[in-house]
Amino acid sequence: METAIRTEGLTKHYGDVRALVDLDLEVRTGEIFGFLGPNGAGKTTTIRVFLDEIRPTAGRASILGMDSRADSVAIRRRVGYVPGDLALYPKLTGRELLTYFANLRGGVDWSVVDGLADRLDSDLSRHIGDLSSGNRQKVGLIQAFMNEPDLLIMDEPSSGLDPLIQREFQAMMREVAAEGRTVFLSSHTLSEVQRVADRVGIIRHGELVAVEAVSSLRSKAMRRIEFEFAEPVTAEAFAAVDGVRDLVVENHRVSLAYDGKIDTLLTTVAGRYEVVDIATHEADLEEIFLTYYEEP
Amino acid sequence: MLATIFTKSVRDRWRGVAIAVVVIGGMLVFGMEVYSGIDLSVYTDLPEALRSLVGIDEGTDAAGLAYGAMYATYGALTIGSLALSIGAGSVAGEERDGTIGLLLANPVGRRRFVMEKLGALVATIAAASLALWLAGILAPVAVGADVAGRHVGALVVHMFAISVFFGMLAAAIGGWTGRRPLASGTTAFVMVASFVAVGVLPLIEGWGDLARAFPWHYYAGSDPIATGVDWGDLGVLGGGSAVLAVLTVVGVERRDLGGGEVRVRLTERLRSNALAGRVLDRLEGSARVSHIWVKTLSDHQTLVIVVGYIVVFFGIVLGPMYLSIDDALRDFMEQVPEAVLAMVGYADMGTPEGWYQTENFSLTIPIALVVVTAVMGANAMAGEEADRTMGLLVANPVSRRRIVLEKAAAMVAATVLLGLFVFVGTMIGSLVAGLDMNAVNVAATSALAVLLALVFGGLALAIGGATGRRGAAVAVTSGAALALYIVNAFFPLNESIAWIASWTPFHYYLSADPLNNGMPWGHAAILAGLFAGLVAAAVAFFTRRDLRQTD
Repeated sequence: METAIRTEGLTKHYGDVRALVDLDLEVRTGEIFGFLGPNGAGKTTTIRVFLDEIRPTAGRASILGMDSRADSVAIRRRVGYVPGDLALYPKLTGRELLTYFANLRGGVDWSVVDGLADRLDSDLSRHIGDLSSGNRQKVGLIQAFMNEPDLLIMDEPSSGLDPLIQREFQAMMREVAAEGRTVFLSSHTLSEVQRVADRVGIIRHGELVAVEAVSSLRSKAMRRIEFEFAEPVTAEAFAAVDGVRDLVVENHRVSLAYDGKIDTLLTTVAGRYEVVDIATHEADLEEIFLTYYEEP
Repeated sequence: MLATIFTKSVRDRWRGVAIAVVVIGGMLVFGMEVYSGIDLSVYTDLPEALRSLVGIDEGTDAAGLAYGAMYATYGALTIGSLALSIGAGSVAGEERDGTIGLLLANPVGRRRFVMEKLGALVATIAAASLALWLAGILAPVAVGADVAGRHVGALVVHMFAISVFFGMLAAAIGGWTGRRPLASGTTAFVMVASFVAVGVLPLIEGWGDLARAFPWHYYAGSDPIATGVDWGDLGVLGGGSAVLAVLTVVGVERRDLGGGEVRVRLTERLRSNALAGRVLDRLEGSARVSHIWVKTLSDHQTLVIVVGYIVVFFGIVLGPMYLSIDDALRDFMEQVPEAVLAMVGYADMGTPEGWYQTENFSLTIPIALVVVTAVMGANAMAGEEADRTMGLLVANPVSRRRIVLEKAAAMVAATVLLGLFVFVGTMIGSLVAGLDMNAVNVAATSALAVLLALVFGGLALAIGGATGRRGAAVAVTSGAALALYIVNAFFPLNESIAWIASWTPFHYYLSADPLNNGMPWGHAAILAGLFAGLVAAAVAFFTRRDLRQTD
């Protein structure tokens, strides 16, 4: 089976700025690959090289077995793309825009388009300039999915979508993968990637720091937990628990980051103090980066 | 410079002002050089009637001619254009960019916002005028010309007043409608139409007073370079500007502000009527997006239609106007040697061909057509990059070469269509007035105008393809067109540098007198070759570089 995306020593410099450094990446056919990184890490630069919008300073990228530069037109015939900073022709209606791109691709199955519009609850008769950013984003998604491409490359595609539509969109991605097609999903939100992706590549300062299966990333996933107790507490009781970091104790409030088993922490605490309130949320990506992928 | 809306608005415009001043000032020095190298007796010996017609007063000299041509006409049109673009951008521009909401989220009232914007307009134009005044004083010193009796200061004051007036007009239209293209387009039309009207109307017996209806009259009518400041005329322009400023404030205060959304087109409004909707559907079909070139053409549909109306209008009205020209003038013109006329920059207006060449083909048609090609050329690649739609377009399976070629094809289609309008308008004018002009020669001249405009469109396409910057493409192309036009018009007057004129595209447009002599195929081939070369350059540049990510 051919590899969907393979880069070898992919490097891009803008003057003195090293946007991408020696990137070696492999995305398998039929998987959903999450491409994670903080803002400015080089995600968009990588994607723009894939689409031949910009040309690498060194190295090469092969998409669907073809060279990103030499075979760019042939590649794009089989790729669907959602740019990060989506801009569409404001004077066209959604349907006119899709007609335009369909014409450039030599036609489209309109029943697929209508099906997508239904699922995403998108009104294609309105002018794009009159749509909210979320509704514009839906049109962007439809144009990427409508030709049932072998590879979907999407840069922060769910920005502006409400939670219901996000869920539908995630289902659409899973269906694509189930049909043996590939999704390359760039994001800075860990939770979104965790929900759909099989594997995740983490990029930072233009360098690929790690490629991991989502399951192993999830085991690393930290939570931030805040306790409120009936009485003032001391730090020692919490510091002793394995996996606790960033411990802040303020009188009877405690805030900490934790990546161990939740049960261990709760038994330790509950036996000792009376818990008034407990709040827990996923640590953000920055925190995970800081913890696991700190620069040497 | 970011302390206030006023200073930021001035800061946003200083580059345009600097370029305009350097170009006009440079051209003034050039003009003085050219005129000081020729025997001016051909001008001063002209009979009174003709001299006053072309704006040359008795005892003129190199400085006077240069001031008259460079400053009074091109200078004022350039600074006027600058002012109207600032005016149109003041309110409507921020709405189009979607920045007005954020700006007015600050504790700034709408009235203060508008006042600061208009203040910046006045201050910017004042700075430009001041710089032109200094250049007007320094240029004769540099070339050693005598400028005694020339009121360059008065001319610049008048220029300031007319420019501010057009800026305020554009601001008022933008303030009431929030539509920048409408504001700048309408104002540019008023400016050019009033410039032409003030030049043409006095030639027609009994129509001279009509010129008072046009703003340009209050700028040039009193001939400020010779007679000094005319306070009455300045009062008219100043009063008009003040009224327009008040109207702008009122217009912005009373309506909902736009947030960068696109307004519903007229055709869409008509669609709500079932019958009209059916007719429109049949007319438009789904053709507007069938190919890149078709969509590009439909994007510029409004511009092409408006310019088409203008060229047809001019073509038609000039016919009957020719019949109304003062007979005495016509008889007189017929006796003036052609060589002299060529030097004054006028064709023999005693013939219909000469009349049409002077009043239509020499300036109006090139401006109208080049505006369209320059805009289309700049929008082609640079426009889509600035609008950030290029990424999606090239994500389709189309090569970059095809994108350039289809966009160039759209430009050719639009310009050929306009050339057809030029031809039809002129022929109708000729038929209505019974001027009996040769249709084949009119067609040839129209075709040359198309080719000339395509050369500048090709230049804009190549610059946009190389840089991805729409502003650069428009600025360089219009600057080049203006400079080359002036070189072609004035350098031939001085024998030692006359050969340079044949290096400009304009030389291959009218120098063979196609209205009388028919198509100069060699010249047409040179223009077509230039266009082809520029398109090839655009392809080469655009396929080799990284796309821009943001504007």
